[in-house]
Amino acid sequence: MSILERFLSNYKPLIAVPVIITLIALALIATHGITENIDLKGGSNAVIQLEKPISSSDLQNTIVKGINNNQVDVTSIANNQATIQISGATNVSAFVNAISGTGTLLSFQSVGPLLSSQALTQVYYALAFAFLFMSITVFIVFRNVVPSVAVILAALSDIIIALGGMSLFGIPLGVASVGALLMLIGYSVDTDILLTTRVLKRREGTINERATNAMKTGFTMAAAAIGSMVTLYLVVIIFIPYAQTLSLIASVLIIGLTADILATWLMNLGILRWYMEDRR
Amino acid sequence: MRQDIIDFIKDYRVIILIVFLVVSVASISLSGITEGLDLKGGSSIQIELQQPVNTTTMNTVINVLNKRLDVFGVKDVQVRPSGNQSVLVEVAGVQPQDVANLVGTPGKFDATIGNQTVLLGSDIVTVQAYTVTGNTWSVPFTITTTAANNFAQAAKGKAGQPVNMYLDNNLVSSPQLDPGLANGVASTDVEVSGTAASAVAAQTQAKNIQTILQSGSLPVEVSIEGVSSVSAQLGSEFVNGALIAGIAALIVISAVILYRYRTPILVIPIIFTSLSELVLILGVASIIHWNIDLAAIAGIIAAIGTGVDDQIIITDEVLKGNREFNVSTPTQKSRRSKRADKKKGKKGKSEDKKVKVSRRITGFRLRIRSAFFIIYASAATLIAAMLPIAYVGYSTGSGLGVLVGFAFTTIVGVLIGIFITRPVYAKFVELLVGTN
Repeated sequence: MSILERFLSNYKPLIAVPVIITLIALALIATHGITENIDLKGGSNAVIQLEKPISSSDLQNTIVKGINNNQVDVTSIANNQATIQISGATNVSAFVNAISGTGTLLSFQSVGPLLSSQALTQVYYALAFAFLFMSITVFIVFRNVVPSVAVILAALSDIIIALGGMSLFGIPLGVASVGALLMLIGYSVDTDILLTTRVLKRREGTINERATNAMKTGFTMAAAAIGSMVTLYLVVIIFIPYAQTLSLIASVLIIGLTADILATWLMNLGILRWYMEDRR
Repeated sequence: MRQDIIDFIKDYRVIILIVFLVVSVASISLSGITEGLDLKGGSSIQIELQQPVNTTTMNTVINVLNKRLDVFGVKDVQVRPSGNQSVLVEVAGVQPQDVANLVGTPGKFDATIGNQTVLLGSDIVTVQAYTVTGNTWSVPFTITTTAANNFAQAAKGKAGQPVNMYLDNNLVSSPQLDPGLANGVASTDVEVSGTAASAVAAQTQAKNIQTILQSGSLPVEVSIEGVSSVSAQLGSEFVNGALIAGIAALIVISAVILYRYRTPILVIPIIFTSLSELVLILGVASIIHWNIDLAAIAGIIAAIGTGVDDQIIITDEVLKGNREFNVSTPTQKSRRSKRADKKKGKKGKSEDKKVKVSRRITGFRLRIRSAFFIIYASAATLIAAMLPIAYVGYSTGSGLGVLVGFAFTTIVGVLIGIFITRPVYAKFVELLVGTN
């Protein structure tokens, strides 16, 4: 309990922890960049069922010759299934002809430059508007500037740290990860609203008691959410490695939800307490 | 205690949940759940038109494409505009290359002798079934009498010269002009023929050309901008994987709940609520024939996940209320309890017990109400965050629009959760704590 007490009484310097991590994440994104999935940068992606064992380079050569494009990358061969990435839009008929005799098509995705640039614009707008709408809702709920801003900052920090994690671990930004970021906004705001309501609006107990109680609930929520996302990730990796949509969502959420623990209980709680003591 | 349980079952919220569950299960078992293309296997092809077109032209494009797929024998197909410059073709269970060849070409047919155009696609009246002999294929068709006359005039005296037949400016066939056609006598029976590398290839080519000639050409140049295709095999693997993941996630959540509250009986309503939400979301999807695809599954995960969050909030509020109320009862005398004191004198001890219970229940109600403030607020923010995707999905259906199922199931799931299942959960926790 003493660690918790010490932690609760030294809240001001602790606000810096999530802030610094957020800044590091920003720096990572700026220097390292985030790889884009083919749905945002264009290109093709195929999973084929191999009819006979073939080496990665042989498969690559076959395809390069068949479709007349030398930017072919065989990313994995496992369980007689191969994943192939090709830059640029690929004619699906040419591709099927190229692999005929070697394998059959399990899944194929090809995105042309027009479609990908359109999707990229949509991604920016969707994220911006989602964030805006969320912020408006938070303001309506609390009708109080500082606590609302604290919630919004925590959500922003979560998203930036999640993006930084994507940059660090090479998780591509694609349509699926946008879904994950939006889910993250939902989860992140959940704990923030819980915290703000309990600490700001309740009267019983001291601020510390209310904060500790809220923290107990919040940690249980985080454990359940992170636990289920880790499970989802593992199941997808083991059983359905090609359901990239789900493993991407899970990995982005694992990073984001972990960041949310820091953002909520160090930053949001810190700002809230500062605000309440200042007001007194 | 028995009375408590009967009251619980008679509660209107519980009855509503049971009714909705029955309706959902009935709908799911009667009309089933339509799976999206990425789960049942199929191809989605986005076709880009060279320039934006008006509604009339768009309708022509859609009709021609529908006709082509129909002639080709493709069933379970959906062709719809996406904005005013692209078309989305969704086909179940067909290999993408078959569809791509068919819809990704304008289908402009013309034939020339020397530099003179002698025949156009619009001159074609009917197309007969193709024939294949060895590696050679041919597609016979008839042309209008006017076109036949023009052709006869143009061909007169040019026996032996090649007739170049083009499909989308690609030479598909260039037979030599038969002396019988170069005598100026009009004939409405023409055929286009060619040779392919194999009998199978000849078959495919002939079928394609027959289909395209028969359906006519598109009024604009088109190109394939995106292809997304999943085989039925992979699709069913996705479904199984998602089921395994769902069950495993529920086990993990149960473990967390068990660890935190040390009350095994709490695990049952949390699992029950999550499963009810799943059934109700699928029920809604089944009733309105919404496709459940991979994105929709992600949305269901999001909805159920926030549901578990909400249940933890409710549990904590109620448990905390219970604890505090027990401690503070002697000192806190509300107006209500004073009124109760006055009555107490007449009716004795059993009444006193009842008052205590009812006072405690009022405490829960207050607690639950404050839990629901948090729940409504977070539901509102989640729905607000999903609106942009829902908008993109409805307006274009491409790009980020593939996430429309995600936004849909999240919003539906959250609404079901806050209005139907979570109130019942709160009622249950109240029962549980009340009887303890």
